[in-house]
Amino acid sequence: MTRTLRIALAITALALLTSACASIGPKPWEKDLMARKEMSVNPYPLVAAADDHIYFSKEASSGGRGFAGGGCGCN
Amino acid sequence: MQLNKSRRPGQLRDTLATLSLGLVAANTIHVAPAAAQSTDENLSLPYSQLDAAYLSYQEANGRVSASEPTASLAIHGQGGQVLTLGLTADTVSGATPNGAVPSDLAQNFVTPLKASGSSVTVTTASGGSTVITLPPTPGQLAAAALGRMYTVPGNNLPMDRAFYDERKAGTIGWSQPLFGIDQVGASFSYSTERDYSSLTFSGRLAQDFNDHNSTLNLSVNFEDDTSTPYGGVPTPMTAMSGQWKNTSSKGRTQTDVVLGLTEVMSRRWLAQLNVSYGISSGYQNDPYRIVSVVDPVTGEPLMQTDTAGNTQVYALYENRPGSRTRESVYLDNKFDFDPVIPELSLRYYHDSWGISSQTAELTTKIKLFGSFYLTPNVRWYHQSAASFFHYYLLSDQAVPTYASSDSRLGRFTSLTYGAQLGFNLTDHSEIYVRGEYARQQGDGHPAYAVGQLRNQDLFAGIKATWFMVGYSWQFH
Repeated sequence: MTRTLRIALAITALALLTSACASIGPKPWEKDLMARKEMSVNPYPLVAAADDHIYFSKEASSGGRGFAGGGCGCN
Repeated sequence: MQLNKSRRPGQLRDTLATLSLGLVAANTIHVAPAAAQSTDENLSLPYSQLDAAYLSYQEANGRVSASEPTASLAIHGQGGQVLTLGLTADTVSGATPNGAVPSDLAQNFVTPLKASGSSVTVTTASGGSTVITLPPTPGQLAAAALGRMYTVPGNNLPMDRAFYDERKAGTIGWSQPLFGIDQVGASFSYSTERDYSSLTFSGRLAQDFNDHNSTLNLSVNFEDDTSTPYGGVPTPMTAMSGQWKNTSSKGRTQTDVVLGLTEVMSRRWLAQLNVSYGISSGYQNDPYRIVSVVDPVTGEPLMQTDTAGNTQVYALYENRPGSRTRESVYLDNKFDFDPVIPELSLRYYHDSWGISSQTAELTTKIKLFGSFYLTPNVRWYHQSAASFFHYYLLSDQAVPTYASSDSRLGRFTSLTYGAQLGFNLTDHSEIYVRGEYARQQGDGHPAYAVGQLRNQDLFAGIKATWFMVGYSWQFH
């Protein structure tokens, strides 16, 4: 599978997921749990940053959770 | 954090004592999408958040250690504005593999020590090294340049122990509703080390829909880096030497695009999907790293002796392709099964250097008695090798265009275990301690190894432990 095709498939899948989203999810009055810090996307930004930086420095891969690297000569 | 392998003794003494708070890598600050961020239910206003932490990192066997104070601040305004600030500083020191293979014999390595015209007076060399006088050679910048020689005993992984660097980094970002789009944001980051600097600009669009249960994100990141290695930029695939190189710096640029969807699937389930694509071009070598050239029968690294009588290993500076594209897909799911909150993230990564990797991480927050919580985590990671990865080169074969023995570009599996123990001081502030242990395992005894290399562990992966102490406060 070519890289372009894989990217196109991924974007298509994302678009399909997006359209499917309209029928899922809680009502506004059911969002009590999502309002808590522990259910936020990144409740401990410094912990995530430290882990990402360590793994970026010691492995070939990067990215995923956010952008890669953050500009250091460590890899 | 590229570790400056040469340090001037007087400067080192001065800098060891100064660990000032600098600025954090930009990308470490994530603005939470509106679909899932901590909010005050009464005010419907996201909490602002201040975080501060101290990280201590240590690799086994006297290898790299680092310490890093860091802080971040995200302030949410009434009109949907978000201001983010981040600061970090780290100092890194210890022994780092230079890329050469172990040998059953001692090996000498020579690196540059003093620039032409430098006023630095060298009386000793650090890291168990000795100062040597290099013979005059054509193109040499100093009439009688000095070199730093270090000796690695037989049956030891060659490492340079004179490794020291400091990094300061910071970021500032702003986002707000604009032109009917929920969040339009930009951020700027700068990071500087003794031999590396990086500028980053980022732009971000985010749009909520489906009763704020869905957030679509588009982020673009442009990074401009400059590598200024101590001793100059070596010519790739030429012999390692103590001569100062003519080229002082090289640049590299990188552009990344991330398309993401954050979805509140149900009252208790949050999901996130990111698709990333990045392209980098320019100087991507590790300027200090070498590849051994060995005898095809005995496996002994080749040696060379200069006209001044200095005997050293004959090894070549590595070379990596000047362009690299990266793709990754990241999926994260988090569930609130109060008092247990598990989170599973998966990532697939592939790049044009031939590396593919898979990552799986499971984190589970468990609310304990009183205001304590415990969050154990385990992470599994596996990567394949870059197409140009070689533990060593054979002396009877042609020198390839690209070669690197950097174990980070080799095939290995890594496992990380850890836990975070936290205590809620109030409803919106907490302190925590965190410990992690990671171990990389690769094939250090490949079947193709020749001669004495069959008896050596060629894989230079790490065993690392890190601890973090942090404070987090949410406020309006």
